[in-house]
Amino acid sequence: MYSSKESLNNDYPKFAVVGHPNKGKSSIVSSLALDDSVQIGDTPGTTQVKRGFPLKVDGKIIYELFDTPGFQRARRVLSWLNDQEPVSADKKGDVVRAFIAAHRDDERFIDEIELLEPIMNGAGIIYVVDASKPYGSEYETEMEILRWCGQPSMAILNLIGEENYTEQWKSALGHYFRMVRTFNPIKATFREHIELLDSMSQLKEEWTKPIKVAIKVLEDLQQQKIEQTVDSIVSNMVKTLSYIHRQKIVGESATTDEEEKLKHSYREKIIKFEKEQEQNIESIWNHRSIEKVENMLVLDNVGLFSKESASIFGLSQQQLIITGASAGAMGGLGIDLLLGGGSLFLGSIIGGAVGGVGAMMGFDNLYEVKVLGQSIGKRELTVGPMQNLNFPYILLGRSLYHSSVIAKRSHAMRDNIDLEQEEFLTEQIIDSDMRKTLEKVHVSLRKGDEPKEEDLKAYKKVLKESFLGLL
Amino acid sequence: MQIKNSKISIKSYLNLLELLNEYRGTHEENRLFALKHEALLQNPKKMLLAWMQKNEFRKTQTLESLSILQKLSILGNFIGLFSLIFGFIAGFGLLSYSGHAPVNVIYYLLFAMFIPLLSMLVSMVSLLSSGTVFNALSLFFPLHWIETVLNFFSFRDKVDVVNTLFSDELKKWMFMSRLQLFSLLFSVGLLFALLVIVISKDIAFSWSTTLNVSNMGFFKLLACIGFPWGHTLPSAIPSVELIEMSHYYRLGENLNTQMIQNADKLGAWWKYLAMVTLFYAIFLRFLLWLATRYGYQEQLEKDFLELDGVQKLLREFNTPFVSTESPKEEKHLEIVKESDEQVSHAVAKVYETIIGWNFSNDEILLVNDAKGISSSNISTVGGNNSFAEDQKVAKEARAEVILYVKSWEPPTMDFIDFLEELLANDNVEEIQVYPLGTVGRNYESDEREVAIWKRKIQGLKSKKVWVIDV
Ligand SMILES: Nc1nc2c(ncn2[C@@H]2O[C@H](COP(=O)(O)OP(=O)(O)OP(=O)(O)O)[C@@H](O)[C@H]2O)c(=O)[nH]1
Ligand SMILES: [Mg+2]
Repeated sequence: MYSSKESLNNDYPKFAVVGHPNKGKSSIVSSLALDDSVQIGDTPGTTQVKRGFPLKVDGKIIYELFDTPGFQRARRVLSWLNDQEPVSADKKGDVVRAFIAAHRDDERFIDEIELLEPIMNGAGIIYVVDASKPYGSEYETEMEILRWCGQPSMAILNLIGEENYTEQWKSALGHYFRMVRTFNPIKATFREHIELLDSMSQLKEEWTKPIKVAIKVLEDLQQQKIEQTVDSIVSNMVKTLSYIHRQKIVGESATTDEEEKLKHSYREKIIKFEKEQEQNIESIWNHRSIEKVENMLVLDNVGLFSKESASIFGLSQQQLIITGASAGAMGGLGIDLLLGGGSLFLGSIIGGAVGGVGAMMGFDNLYEVKVLGQSIGKRELTVGPMQNLNFPYILLGRSLYHSSVIAKRSHAMRDNIDLEQEEFLTEQIIDSDMRKTLEKVHVSLRKGDEPKEEDLKAYKKVLKESFLGLL
Repeated sequence: MQIKNSKISIKSYLNLLELLNEYRGTHEENRLFALKHEALLQNPKKMLLAWMQKNEFRKTQTLESLSILQKLSILGNFIGLFSLIFGFIAGFGLLSYSGHAPVNVIYYLLFAMFIPLLSMLVSMVSLLSSGTVFNALSLFFPLHWIETVLNFFSFRDKVDVVNTLFSDELKKWMFMSRLQLFSLLFSVGLLFALLVIVISKDIAFSWSTTLNVSNMGFFKLLACIGFPWGHTLPSAIPSVELIEMSHYYRLGENLNTQMIQNADKLGAWWKYLAMVTLFYAIFLRFLLWLATRYGYQEQLEKDFLELDGVQKLLREFNTPFVSTESPKEEKHLEIVKESDEQVSHAVAKVYETIIGWNFSNDEILLVNDAKGISSSNISTVGGNNSFAEDQKVAKEARAEVILYVKSWEPPTMDFIDFLEELLANDNVEEIQVYPLGTVGRNYESDEREVAIWKRKIQGLKSKKVWVIDV
């Protein structure tokens, strides 16, 4: 798609991630390349051919990572290299090239050739080991081969299991690599990702600048994703809270059956909105295979309209009253002060005044149902906009929770995530000051009005702040 | 694909609105497009128009809004023509001179100056005021009612559609600028009627009022009104003499014969009246019309940039597209489930041969001690051994062989090569591969790790080799 001139330019840093089978090479590449389509598996030999992951900006490659198969017959390769006529250190790379040329059709060395090729094409070496398992001298064969390649190199300690043999590994690897870093592809944060890139930039003088550019690009990209996430959450909030479900009816007035049916499809629609919003977030963060993971989030099991969801993500009654009151429903009464003592009795009186305890806690009378257009002869039953005071916080809490999990999720992760209830409390993430700003928008949406531009701006700002707090 | 000027028309507004409903492009496509039109990056409107032109073919639905727009413009032309004719007829009525009663210039001034000035004032007030005031004021404009009624008849159902396409602010400017245009046409009709009558017949003008106004006072008033052209066109200001002569009340109820004789003199009024019409009803209105056109255009362009999806598009034009994924699809490895085949659930106490793959001699002795296994023939393979050393071990092995392996190190082809050599030795009756965990875990291995070994060994399809899973 882009001009081929630029793509052909071969002058960018390349890195080959190599190592023993099953030590997390693909996991590391997957997490660095933000690509969750990489196959990662228990079975050694999951990766069979090398695969390049270029970081492209407008089609121009800034650097490229290569995922490679693990060493399978390292001893044979090394013995072939050692059997050649001795050469000076600067010619050793040529011997490796000779090995590749001599064994291109040899089935036994498919894996070795796949992994050596990018290195001999100028890629830096990133040697991955699992430091949760003890060091063994058999690794020396692989490291010896890599030394023959004569390319800049570093080692990454990945901790797959519970044990820790980091010190042992460090002293062994120190003989072969100038730089040894610890990086856990599953748990790595964005910061750690950037720090690793920074280490990679030091492998070769000429690479420092392009990798710095790459770091800047990735940081900008991260910011963009955060903005897009917040925009997406806000637009779903507006869409959902102002949504009115309509249906033509035949009779003079709606039957309870019709009403129930409509309420049901109203809820279904809102649940669908939430699902779409979640998918949108997943695509913003490049987690495209997530729908393949069944019950990725236990969120799926806690229905949007369930009591459970309300108790996890909603506000407590007292918080709700404070919010409702300070946002103008009972303006200027100093409810915050009154509730300072936490009097439940007072709380319920005010609760009644704000809109009925039922409207805050339950979902039974959460939406207005109206019959419209009786005079023209066309009768229409409408449900919405959402009247429940707590609902916006439940929805918002769920979206923030889901988005933060997705945003933090490593692209190397292939498992489910458990919902840890203790960790997430809407009340704590969005304090009562923030809620004042949010409530302005919620109030106008409840009334069916379009929120003011500046209110929406403030809304976004608050959301961004709380979202950043979750990352 | 040259976009010469970036003036947004209502047509491009609707086009983009409809296109965005169907197609918004991906970030990659949109950024690529922007890079190809780099010169336009400074001009978002031009860029959007170019983007629209390029993607117009993607629209699948027929342009309903455009047909509505056409109807609207036909309706507009119709009302415009109607205004012109109406102005002409009104002028004719005003100036109808039967030969008996002369035309009262004050009536004419009312239509050619006072009403236009008043309506321009109302227009301006409603333009400068916000929504509700405008809505209230617009009820006073006949045009509002004419349009409402006509709209209702011409496309009953579609009025709603049209209404939702434009913002209130834009609708206000649309309405106001049309209002100015129609008023302008009305005044042109009026002027036209004046000229036609002046050319085609004698016409006598007079003035009369119940108010007590002196000739001199009236002259001053008229001179004041005629101030804008008084200097350049003095003949288009009535003289005191003319005013005196045409003061109607002096003549009484009957027509003065002298006055009829002086009809042509009295007719000199027409220049003045024509100038009043030209200046107040036409020139000023024209200015106001230009102003509303300008306001309308500004609003249209503002709304154009605020169409749903436009901001996203502009952002995508301006943000570099970053991709990190591999362009190469991966052929995913089929993973076979392991079974219980070739799995042994017990370990013997004595073996003829003990071999440790990637184990040192000492390590093997430690395992033997911990597991209570013994043998007189212990050797190490793999690791830093040479192939010749490994081959020797494979050749010398006999009877039951137990092969220690590190459970966490998945079987490599190097290992399989050795195993095959061992299998080729006919003295070997049985090989038991024993995956051992780390010393730290008392050699206990992970189920997951053993499963990997099982799958690999099962793949060899040999009845001689087993995996120990205890
Ligand atoms: N818990 C945990 N598991 C990891 C980590 N890194 C990798 N794994 C797991 O280790 C296994 C192997 O990971 P891969 O990334 O496929 O390893 P690889 O080196 O690419 O393997 P091959 O392609 O077969 O050579 C997978 O089951 C991963 O889930 C880690 O940091 N933590
Ligand atoms: Mg792999």
